[in-house]
Amino acid sequence: MSSTENIYLPKVVQLDRVVDEIHEVRTFVWHFEDPADQAAFKKFRPGQFAQVSIFGAGEFPASLPPSPTENEMFFTIRTVGGCTAALHRLQPGDRFAVRGPYGNGFPMDDYAGKNLVFVAGGIGLIPLRSCIVYALAHRERYERIQIYYGAKTPRELMYLPNLRAWEQAAGIECQLTVDRASDGWTGNVGVVGSLFKRPGVHVPVENTVAFVCGPPVMFRFVIRDLLDMGFREDQIMSTLERYMKCGVGKCGHCCIGVAYVCVDGPVFTYEQIKKLGEDI
Amino acid sequence: MRARVIGEADVLRLVDLLRQDRQVIAPFCGRGRDSYFDVVTDVNRDRIRLHVPNPLYPPKRYVLPHIERLMRMRRSAAGLWNFQPDYAETPLALFGVRSCDVAGVRHLDRFYLGREYVDAYYERRRRNLFVVNMVCTDPEVDIDDNCFCVCADTGPAARDAFDLQLMDLGGGEYLAVAGTAAGEDLFSAPFFRPATAAHVERRRAILTEVRGRFRSTTSWFAATVRYISRGDVLDKTWEEIGNRCLECGACTFVCPACTCFTVSDRRTGKEEYERVRMWDSCALKGFTRMAGGFNPRRAVHDRRNRRFFRKLAHYFIQRELSMACVGCGRCAAVCHGDVGMPSVVEMIRRATAIAAPPLDESSTVPSAKVTA
Ligand SMILES: Cc1cc2nc3c(=O)[nH]c(=O)nc-3n(C[C@H](O)[C@H](O)[C@H](O)COP(=O)(O)OP(=O)(O)OC[C@H]3O[C@@H](n4cnc5c(N)ncnc54)[C@H](O)[C@@H]3O)c2cc1C
Ligand code: SF4
Ligand code: SF4
Ligand code: FES
Repeated sequence: MSSTENIYLPKVVQLDRVVDEIHEVRTFVWHFEDPADQAAFKKFRPGQFAQVSIFGAGEFPASLPPSPTENEMFFTIRTVGGCTAALHRLQPGDRFAVRGPYGNGFPMDDYAGKNLVFVAGGIGLIPLRSCIVYALAHRERYERIQIYYGAKTPRELMYLPNLRAWEQAAGIECQLTVDRASDGWTGNVGVVGSLFKRPGVHVPVENTVAFVCGPPVMFRFVIRDLLDMGFREDQIMSTLERYMKCGVGKCGHCCIGVAYVCVDGPVFTYEQIKKLGEDI
Repeated sequence: MRARVIGEADVLRLVDLLRQDRQVIAPFCGRGRDSYFDVVTDVNRDRIRLHVPNPLYPPKRYVLPHIERLMRMRRSAAGLWNFQPDYAETPLALFGVRSCDVAGVRHLDRFYLGREYVDAYYERRRRNLFVVNMVCTDPEVDIDDNCFCVCADTGPAARDAFDLQLMDLGGGEYLAVAGTAAGEDLFSAPFFRPATAAHVERRRAILTEVRGRFRSTTSWFAATVRYISRGDVLDKTWEEIGNRCLECGACTFVCPACTCFTVSDRRTGKEEYERVRMWDSCALKGFTRMAGGFNPRRAVHDRRNRRFFRKLAHYFIQRELSMACVGCGRCAAVCHGDVGMPSVVEMIRRATAIAAPPLDESSTVPSAKVTA
């Protein structure tokens, strides 16, 4: 019997650069020490995730915000506990380790010929960034592309250079909003759903896939808005976050309803999420 | 049937034969009805017991240790980090394992080796494992009120996943059946005698007799699988079950078919760490707690619900082609709140039979009898 590859063994990576995003959230640009690992990993799909090991702290799951069409690999991480804080303490040149990619990801190629509507709140933009960049890299495959993104304050807007570029770009509609204006904000003020009611905004329902990611409250309101507009539950996609230890369907921690979120997800339709029967 | 007959005294010869090239684990008896698995040595080999009360601690730990080091992480003098996986490659024989526990190993095989990812640690342990199944035939010693292998369709005689199966035919004779080529190889030892048609007939008669000595009945399990799969079980019933659970985790730790684990890193030196995994339990509050304190599974009955849903939902039985309960009855024996598997099956069946629409026998949900 030949020995199988060890799914739990991470590969060493080097931290190249750290970019401050918003309060407590930073983007960590990295590359694998071994170029062969980098090439193998680059075949990931938008919406997949990786398991990140920080020496001495432990391992945790993180989404892959880059698109496979981009060159650089990075994570965008909020510091919340032991592992994430340890990552935030690393300096360029330091090593950590990564294994993956894991999970189903968004079936972006199945959506060819459809309208794509991205609705994100706060750090919910992290997993959706990959899809957006991927869709724009293959612009001709899709019909309308719309982005609706909201944050608490202007300072809490993620990936600001990307947002500015998307706002300017031809062929996409990108609208931003904040709950509370400050710092000379002249844009929309209100929850994400308020963008749908702005003059000139029209979200097509026919032949459309909606991507929704954000904090639980935002998620519930946006889902209600979309259903009111006439979206079917299976037209709405999201990603689930669960406590994960292995990422490969063995440890049982992420198991809800009939799904192991790490292998059957993290991407689900709203119809599936409802059936899984736990809190978002 | 690839069968032979050995005498009572030959059983120890068989153990010694296996000990020539592997470590042998066998059941022993402590005081009263206490029994346990241990490594066979020159000193204890005479005390191996083939008929034993069910050891509460299943032999699962020999394929899935409760704590195991996955890897060492070290930084070399040159400043490079590397990972060294830690595999157990010792050849092992589990001797005298009851049929439910053999089915437990088969379930772990399905779970850890099946589907898209293979667990390299489990795989290596399993590859080096030789399984000698002992059929439960003594209603006074082997079988107790909690046993329901007949119901889970795993016993009293295992059908697969063993290398060799022994059955006490009475009168100082044991029938040995080979389940694999490795098992059959042993038959070249001189003490194996040919089995006659009379021996095989005795085996059949004994099994029929023994099946009648179990307290449980088959249909209950199948009905409960269907109720759970169809979502018929009332919240009230889950709550009643949850209210009786003390969240000790014992049911999961004695279960030969539970698979969940957690992973933790610890420091072993300067710039040197180890990553270990250990058994975890869905009965415990922290199991699904996420960073930041949000816990999607809040109430106790949500967690209890989880264990039985995961074990009995038709979806998962199909997914692994094997059910995550093998009917060993250990959870019933250890649970302070009497919410072990047999009582839960009964509680659900009773409460749901009244409330739910009748079961359609032609429905696509199969009975609990799922064999691969
Ligand atoms: C699919 C998925 C994608 C995600 N994507 C992102 C993302 O892109 N950005 C982001 O900011 N967050 C993301 N998260 C959330 C992120 O995984 C958690 O915030 C993170 O696990 C918190 O870890 P912590 O150690 O900082 O927190 P803690 O509360 O300290 O610990 C939570 C968990 O971290 C791990 N851990 C801590 N210490 C150890 C140790 N000593 N050994 C082993 N493990 C340990 C364990 O899993 C522990 O239970 C994602 C989660 C999922 C499930
Ligand atoms: S043994 Fe009983 S009390 Fe303990 S966790 Fe299991 S169900 Fe709950
Ligand atoms: S659930 Fe209970 S009866 Fe079933 S295999 Fe596990 S411990 Fe044994
Ligand atoms: S994270 Fe381990 S099973 Fe999903």
